[in-house]
Amino acid sequence: MSLGLEDPYARTDTVVTEQRPPGSRTAQWRRYLGVPALLALVCVGVVVFVAFADLDDVERRLLTFDGLRTATLVHLELVGLSTLLVIVLAVPLGILVSRPWARRLTPVVVGLGNIAQSVPSLGVIVLFAILFAPGFGGAVVALVVYAFLPILRNTIVGLQQIDPFVVESARGMGMSSNRVLREIELPLAVPVILAGVRTAAVIGVGTATIGALTNAGGLGSVVYGGIVQSRTPVIVVASILTAVLALLVDHVLGVAENVLRPRGL
Amino acid sequence: MPAMIELEQLTKHYPGRSAPAVDSLDLTIAEGEIVILVGPSGCGKTTTLKMINRIIEPSSGIIRLQGEDVTRANPDHLRRRIGYVIQQVGLFPHQTIGRNITTVPRLLGWSQQRIDDRLDELMHLVGMDPGTYRDRYPKELSGGQRQRVGVARALAADPPVMLMDEPFGALDPISRERLQNEFLRLQEEIRKTIVFVTHDIDEAITMGDRIAILREGSTVAQYDTPETVLAAPADDFVREFIGSGAALKRLGLARVRDVELGQWPTSPIGSGREAALRALASSEHGSVLLLDDRRRPLRWVRADELEQPGSLERLGVEVRGTVEPTTTLAHALDAMVGSRVGAVVVVDGSGALLGTVDMRVIMAAVDTMRTDAHEQDREEVPSR
Ligand SMILES: Nc1ncnc2c1ncn2[C@@H]1O[C@H](COP(=O)(O)OP(=O)(O)O)[C@@H](O)[C@H]1O
Ligand SMILES: [Mg+2]
Repeated sequence: MSLGLEDPYARTDTVVTEQRPPGSRTAQWRRYLGVPALLALVCVGVVVFVAFADLDDVERRLLTFDGLRTATLVHLELVGLSTLLVIVLAVPLGILVSRPWARRLTPVVVGLGNIAQSVPSLGVIVLFAILFAPGFGGAVVALVVYAFLPILRNTIVGLQQIDPFVVESARGMGMSSNRVLREIELPLAVPVILAGVRTAAVIGVGTATIGALTNAGGLGSVVYGGIVQSRTPVIVVASILTAVLALLVDHVLGVAENVLRPRGL
Repeated sequence: MPAMIELEQLTKHYPGRSAPAVDSLDLTIAEGEIVILVGPSGCGKTTTLKMINRIIEPSSGIIRLQGEDVTRANPDHLRRRIGYVIQQVGLFPHQTIGRNITTVPRLLGWSQQRIDDRLDELMHLVGMDPGTYRDRYPKELSGGQRQRVGVARALAADPPVMLMDEPFGALDPISRERLQNEFLRLQEEIRKTIVFVTHDIDEAITMGDRIAILREGSTVAQYDTPETVLAAPADDFVREFIGSGAALKRLGLARVRDVELGQWPTSPIGSGREAALRALASSEHGSVLLLDDRRRPLRWVRADELEQPGSLERLGVEVRGTVEPTTTLAHALDAMVGSRVGAVVVVDGSGALLGTVDMRVIMAAVDTMRTDAHEQDREEVPSR
């Protein structure tokens, strides 16, 4: 197990050394690992609190380690799955409507997306719980609808902000339009698309708490339980965990943006 | 020279515009020449150029490349045979200089070895050290360096034709002039057929073997060598477009070797004062040019200065700012105006005297150019 972990690490290390000066690399790792360390510390605090604080029976029932872990994982699954689905759906759609022959469609698609997002998230989740079964599935569909626009819009913007002369010179040298898309346009749009994914995922962590209302599980259910039973410690603990999750998602996707941004930009 | 590019009745109507941007243009571009499309902004130069590699599809008309009708050929394949350089350069910001330059060879599926060799060759060709710049990114380069890369990239697969749309238009005047000169030197080597768009008549005159002066709708007002265009403008539009200073611009095209040099009285510095006075007496000039034993000019000396005591080496003024046969008459004129005696000395490669350029030489040259151009104009009935 430990051997299996060491090998890939050693390999990434040498690759990175070749590309970046050593000093900045250490600084970068410190920046990459600082936030998670801080968040881990907060989690330890929460665990200590749950284990040793003076809690009554109701609070004990709502705040078990197993329960919290499951709620956190389900929450993460809700956000992760919906975000992945949106990427798979919205990025290709964004590419499609930014093709020269479909330029006229762009405002229509963005308009539809705007309408979808102007509906309050609570309404969307309840609506989809009614349309599809309540629970995990309905919440995922609702979150997909909700995260669709930021990613779609960023894909379109990411492609449109590319210097048109870069594309013109690529076409002028005889690159086919597919090749220009693959080798020029998409790499140059990646930072903007990823920024959209990051925004959508972070908002998703917050929105997913509403899933509690339709029995989707997640940290929202714990908060909801605390509200129903009027137990402030329960609400606070679940809220802190939600915030930690949001910050973690934001940080991880921020690192991903850095790593995946093409060099030279 | 055989025709490399032939445009026949080439026309472009942009949708929603009443007048065509390019209106039935006929133009033949000979192999190995730099042809400049020049004209006021909006006259259709860019549209014309982009129809040649079909970045813009013509509404009607025919484009022939090396005799072959390419009006409906596969545009991607066509473009790999045509180098394309634009003012904004359009380098790929996320790719290294090396990768940028080798775009077309990679499209054509060259072997890695051939690509690497070609990359080195191209970078040397445009004066950039491969070791230093190959792995850099475009944003790390200056504007001039980027356009060098743009030119190298366009030349990568050795296309017979290059299309250039105001390639040096975004550069500061100093870099622009340097790149223009480098490019002309490069062209001596590579002998491409080049269609070059500019709105700057001076650039057109410097760069062009032939200039097409265009007016609204890409209509050819005159298509001729820079010398003829300057000496015999076809009409008022051309005259106005050339602007003032046409005679001066012509002097920028003629070289010192093309004119008959003036002869100034000379005397070897070793022969002494008497010889110098004798040389002066037998000419109408007011000063004599003292030479060393290898006929290299040393000093200008006036008659009254020869009357003064002291060694000849210290009389008069030192000869400075000599020119060579390859210097343009414009530069010679500049040096002449700045000299005390109103003449500039022409020397050969070893520094020995060939003659002088003074006002009479310049005026005679201007006269000859004018007559030449008019005669040529009468002989050639323009076919357009
Ligand atoms: N894509 C376009 N759509 C409509 N009109 C255009 C377009 N491109 C150029 N034009 C018009 O065509 C004319 C010629 O433009 P252009 O070829 O760019 O001129 P130039 O390069 O000589 O400045 C101008 O009047 C310009 O406004
Ligand atoms: Mg133009």
